Amino acid sequence: MIQTRTLLTLTLAALLAGTSAMAQLNGTAVVRKAGPGTVNWPTYNADLAGSRYLPLDQIDGKNFKDMEIAWRFKTDIFGSRPEYKLEGTPLAVDGILYTTAGTRRAVVALNAVTGELLWSFSLHEGKRSAESPRALSGRGLSYWSDGTKRRILYTTIGYRLISLDADTGQPDPNFGENGIVDLKKDWDQKIDDLETGEAGAHSAPAISGNTIIIGAAFREGFTPVNHNNTKGYVRAFDVRTGKRLWTFHTIPKPGEFGYDTWLNNSADVTGNAGVWTQISIDPDLNLAFLNVESPTSDFFGGQRPGPGLFGNSLVAVDLTTGQRKWHFQLIHHEIWDLDNSSAPLLMNVTVNGKPRKVVGVPSKQGFFYVFDRATGKPIWPINEVKVTQGNVPGEWYSPTQPIPSKPAAYSRNGFSENDLIDFTPELRAKAKDVVKRYQLGGVYTPPIVSTTAKLGVINNWAQGGTNWPGGSFDPETGIAYVYACGTCISSTGLQPGPKGMTNLEYVVGVDGQPVSMIRGPGEGAGADSPATPPPAGGGGAGIPRLAVDGLPLMKPPYGAISAIDINKGEIKWQIAHGETPDFVRNSPALKGIVIPRTGQSTYQIGTLVTKTLVIAGENQVTSTPERPRGAMLRAYDKKTGAEMGAVFMPGPQSGSPMTYSVNGKQYIVVATSGGTSSGEYVAYTLPGKN
Amino acid sequence: MLIRNLAFAAAIALSAGALHAQAATRSVWDGIFSPVQADRGHAVYTARCAACHGATMGGTGEAPGLTGGEFVSHYDQLTVGDLFERVRTTMPQNDPAALSRDEYADVVAFLLKSNGFPAGNAALDRRTEVLATIGIQAQKPTGAASGQ
Repeated sequence: MIQTRTLLTLTLAALLAGTSAMAQLNGTAVVRKAGPGTVNWPTYNADLAGSRYLPLDQIDGKNFKDMEIAWRFKTDIFGSRPEYKLEGTPLAVDGILYTTAGTRRAVVALNAVTGELLWSFSLHEGKRSAESPRALSGRGLSYWSDGTKRRILYTTIGYRLISLDADTGQPDPNFGENGIVDLKKDWDQKIDDLETGEAGAHSAPAISGNTIIIGAAFREGFTPVNHNNTKGYVRAFDVRTGKRLWTFHTIPKPGEFGYDTWLNNSADVTGNAGVWTQISIDPDLNLAFLNVESPTSDFFGGQRPGPGLFGNSLVAVDLTTGQRKWHFQLIHHEIWDLDNSSAPLLMNVTVNGKPRKVVGVPSKQGFFYVFDRATGKPIWPINEVKVTQGNVPGEWYSPTQPIPSKPAAYSRNGFSENDLIDFTPELRAKAKDVVKRYQLGGVYTPPIVSTTAKLGVINNWAQGGTNWPGGSFDPETGIAYVYACGTCISSTGLQPGPKGMTNLEYVVGVDGQPVSMIRGPGEGAGADSPATPPPAGGGGAGIPRLAVDGLPLMKPPYGAISAIDINKGEIKWQIAHGETPDFVRNSPALKGIVIPRTGQSTYQIGTLVTKTLVIAGENQVTSTPERPRGAMLRAYDKKTGAEMGAVFMPGPQSGSPMTYSVNGKQYIVVATSGGTSSGEYVAYTLPGKN
Repeated sequence: MLIRNLAFAAAIALSAGALHAQAATRSVWDGIFSPVQADRGHAVYTARCAACHGATMGGTGEAPGLTGGEFVSHYDQLTVGDLFERVRTTMPQNDPAALSRDEYADVVAFLLKSNGFPAGNAALDRRTEVLATIGIQAQKPTGAASGQ
């Protein structure tokens, strides 16, 4: 394990000042600009409530289109190769931007006005990083200060928690062992091999007071090797020392509450149920909100019969002790890969004339769940509704699932023939032909065993609705702004798990084709790859394309932003987000037909909320008659959803935008990457010095 | 320093993405690879790419599909050199640059064939600087030949 450290920007003035000015001998000390006119974005989501909101208004609907690129920060050099999946949201603290970068997940400190590199830090973890289920640059980091000490904390690719001095980028010697806590140790479970033991994390740690909370993420669950995978227990540490404070067992141990929801003692032999997304914290109620993912595996649960707490549950735990205060299981016995995916939104709203502290949860399944934050009681009834029972041998099916009565689903979560492409009757007819070999159905239609006649079930599955970028909200109005993918469809069928490859009885596969291991996000693409190569040969879930004449099988909107009024539980407006893809707009099959903006099929879109705007970029490049090939960063009127302006981005948005202000000047930064564009942070501001 | 002109910024962005787009003199509709080469590329694809991108190129998990409008429009207005370099420098994802330059050219020929671009008599060149003179046009020009 080798550390890379650089300390840049030794100014001449500081050097001349001599030893008495040692505190000035680094760029961050020179650049720091606390004071009036400097507004910080100090956590991944702007605050611990998950809002992604700052009430800045210098950039507004009238001038958004005039924004210029202030600086660009290319991340290629922070790893052994460029990254094409840069998902970070930077922090801005007192004029300094902190963020993760590159295939080695370096931490960098930048001058927030110029983009100049002040320092960088990265850990060379070798095989441990190469084997990580969560490689690449991750989604962010965290800042902590007690007024004197200032720290940046993040999780490495190899699952180590590191505390860095925010001024120098040096590890804090008083934290863990020389600044590092090995997260594969002291976890209430034995990790046999610290290099290959499966655990990682993409998300930014959550810090409140002196407590830092860390979740865990694992390999993609389509084709897991072992149902008895690592368990995703959540831990809190002392942010000063790295000492473990508590552990919450997301899969209960014998004798603990919820253990009996796992039939045949299957809690003992089931893994995952991590919290891979962001954790939100209410310091006033002293509660942390854990949005727990599914247990192993994503599409087959026959070896874990029963509802399986706290899989797919929202769990409120005491910030000090980690004790469960309340929980609500959003999906019982999850087998759709609809794991809880985004930060809980801690909102203060007025419901029926009464002020309520609520927690809202957007989801892959397009439901927006709302609970009383202190008690976990649903604000509007969430009813147990009978759902379709499947017939996969050995599977255990929950007879009912909780369905919110309000607000209405904000994204498609099931598909019928009515959802098929309908630009022309001919296209609809062809689409009907395509789906003959698949099963359609509503929400919670379970997977089937793939056969020649029915290859699988078509639904949004893992990539629909709202994924890791999550939602956002305006604390002043109680309105949530949430992007969702409406047509991120795929077919899911199951095949018997091949012996020697997995101990799961069924894994994802297609009839007549060999089962192959499916790789997860960034797996094997980090700076320390090559890792174990995928098996050679003609494997792969090769299935007929879900397309008609090259067009998407389902009708638009492909992706949309919804404004949801949480005071009333009502959808206020919805707009398709993203330019119509070229292959739709230019399709010969649609010649002469005017197609309104369709939005784009992607789950990578996070939103930013300011005083007057909702801001989000596009994840796909397009070329229009008005501009060359590229992607646009768009601003919408918060009240109406009307588009107010757009600016060109060098590459597609791949991380969620954020904003801050330094000396009275507002900036918007967004991570871009994808296609031939490697990772880059792009900062926008209005023309002029002030 | 601010980049004050948006058009200028856009031009920088385009030149960064499109290595030598200004030099493009031929297009993917001109029969720029041979059928034999595409067949060789198919074999390489099956051995080194299919595990993630799928036997029929539909994509699996996070690995995107490599055929169809979405894929082609992603490279529209770039060059075959851009596509070649993206594949050569980053694929296979777990071990980039592990294939020979000829093998990468073969795989790219197979990708082009699979997306309906016509084969010709000569094999696709193995030099990036030459491939960078061949433009990718998603839309078929009037009168161009069709691939199989």
